[in-house]
Amino acid sequence: MVAAAAQPILVFMLVIGGVAKLVTAGRDSEPGAFGRLGPAVLAPESWRKNALICCAIGEFGLVAGLLLVDHPAPRWMTVAFFTVATYVLYDLRRRRPDAGCGCFGDVSATPVGLRAISRTLVLTGMAVIVALDGSPGLPAPDWQVLAWLAGFTVVLLALSPEIEETYARLKYRAPCELRPFAPERAAARLRSSAVWRNHVHLLGSELPSDSWRELCWRFFVFEALNGAEVVFAVYLSGRRPPVRVAVVGGHTPIQQSIPVSASL
Amino acid sequence: MGIPAKRRRALAAAVLGRELEPPRANAESGVLLDAVSGTILDVSPHLIIIEDDEGHEERLVIAHWAKAWRGGFVAPADLPVGARVIIRALRQGKVVDRIWADVTRMTGIILSVSGRDDIAVVLDCGPHRGRRSVVIPYRSSGRVRVRYPRLEPGFLFDAIGTVEGTTALAQIPATSQPAYRAAHVPDPPAAYGGVQSKISGTAVWSDHIEAGVAYPMLEQSDTGCADAGVSCAALPYLALGSSVHVRNVCADRATVLPVVACGCMAGRFCDRCVECGTSPRGRVVELSAMSYVELGGDLTNGCFNVRVGLG
Repeated sequence: MVAAAAQPILVFMLVIGGVAKLVTAGRDSEPGAFGRLGPAVLAPESWRKNALICCAIGEFGLVAGLLLVDHPAPRWMTVAFFTVATYVLYDLRRRRPDAGCGCFGDVSATPVGLRAISRTLVLTGMAVIVALDGSPGLPAPDWQVLAWLAGFTVVLLALSPEIEETYARLKYRAPCELRPFAPERAAARLRSSAVWRNHVHLLGSELPSDSWRELCWRFFVFEALNGAEVVFAVYLSGRRPPVRVAVVGGHTPIQQSIPVSASL
Repeated sequence: MGIPAKRRRALAAAVLGRELEPPRANAESGVLLDAVSGTILDVSPHLIIIEDDEGHEERLVIAHWAKAWRGGFVAPADLPVGARVIIRALRQGKVVDRIWADVTRMTGIILSVSGRDDIAVVLDCGPHRGRRSVVIPYRSSGRVRVRYPRLEPGFLFDAIGTVEGTTALAQIPATSQPAYRAAHVPDPPAAYGGVQSKISGTAVWSDHIEAGVAYPMLEQSDTGCADAGVSCAALPYLALGSSVHVRNVCADRATVLPVVACGCMAGRFCDRCVECGTSPRGRVVELSAMSYVELGGDLTNGCFNVRVGLG
């Protein structure tokens, strides 16, 4: 029963860890890497990416073994994996106190602490339980299994520094001035706005003659039929971003800035 | 670039209802120094005659404390006729305070390295500046290599030197070499408090001629610079033609300058300037040599601590 609850958690942790490591390895930025790569930081620089990929492949291999193979070998390999991971984290904390555990890629940037090591110890214990008792595949759910599952989940969440990190990232999102925003998306926002529909009859062409971004605004300039220029400014944040327009030059007097919401 | 930049400012002002003219430098900005550039026609211990960039002849008195730099410090009278100079001048630009002759800055990503005594280095200086071959002469290789221990393809290089004929000679390292490869620029710190109205960091100079700044955080699609949009400082996106207020914190001089170029190389350096105190990490702007001198910078120091705000 305990093993039946532990096995899905092990599978879930291994899958999430493997995917996060592959995503991290695919990114091209460093040296924050010290925080992200975890034990790979102990390897020579040219091997770090390969070390991450190998670790992820190993985790996927263990998942396949736990789910598909009716033999104790993959279960004891899982025990060995988490035992070695516990030692490596302990060693990493001693040798590189600035490095994160890297268990879930760049979310695990917090330097390795007792919580991260305790979590790996708990996972090792769960792997031992599965190895002694387990059977392949996922168990049929019943109330006792679900209760154990909930208990393990609570313990692991309590031991995961990534929860605080994720919360901070969600709460303190980069402001729109710093976020990349594809010009095509801004153009789509413009074309779906009421301001565009009200002024499109003035335009000589639907292709802008100039477009640029400054802070949270993207500007589109169109040649108008009467020789003037129609300038649109699209705000790059929010679900219903404001769109402003001005008609400049030509035979038409310069209009003052007209704040109009796209929702109007 | 001038006309589109002005046009952009006017159109943005019209649509957002803001002031057309950017704020000018005021009394708190300090007094800008005068910078003159040109080619030496004649020089004596007390007088230098140059042909400036507009083709006019300029006569400047050389102050007795004035020093000249041409790969090393020399007496101003020892500068050769025909040398290209940048002069920091006092008294309405008529008294020479400092001269830099044939000075150039070599900033880029190392593409190849060859040679043992005189080291030849090919640099990728960005999509808009192309490739450049520089030579580290044997007499300078010690002090360059102590700050640039990894002269290997993929790493960054930044040195100040002189142009002799068609050859650029690296004389002094402009900064210490970043420990990471150019493709692995660190992520900027999280902007927990939103974007600051003033951003502190490092200002450097480069060989671009147009008065203004090269700025790293530009949209690639707007500039045609495929390497733009990379910086290890948390910089907001601006456009060519945006105005920025640049303050030299060390000399307490400030001015408003337009963004005139893509600063894709500056954005890859995550270093600090220690000209006066220690700046936060990251190069914020890359000034033209003339603007850098006007703000009180010393070209051989390579950087000053800067505070930049949207003008």
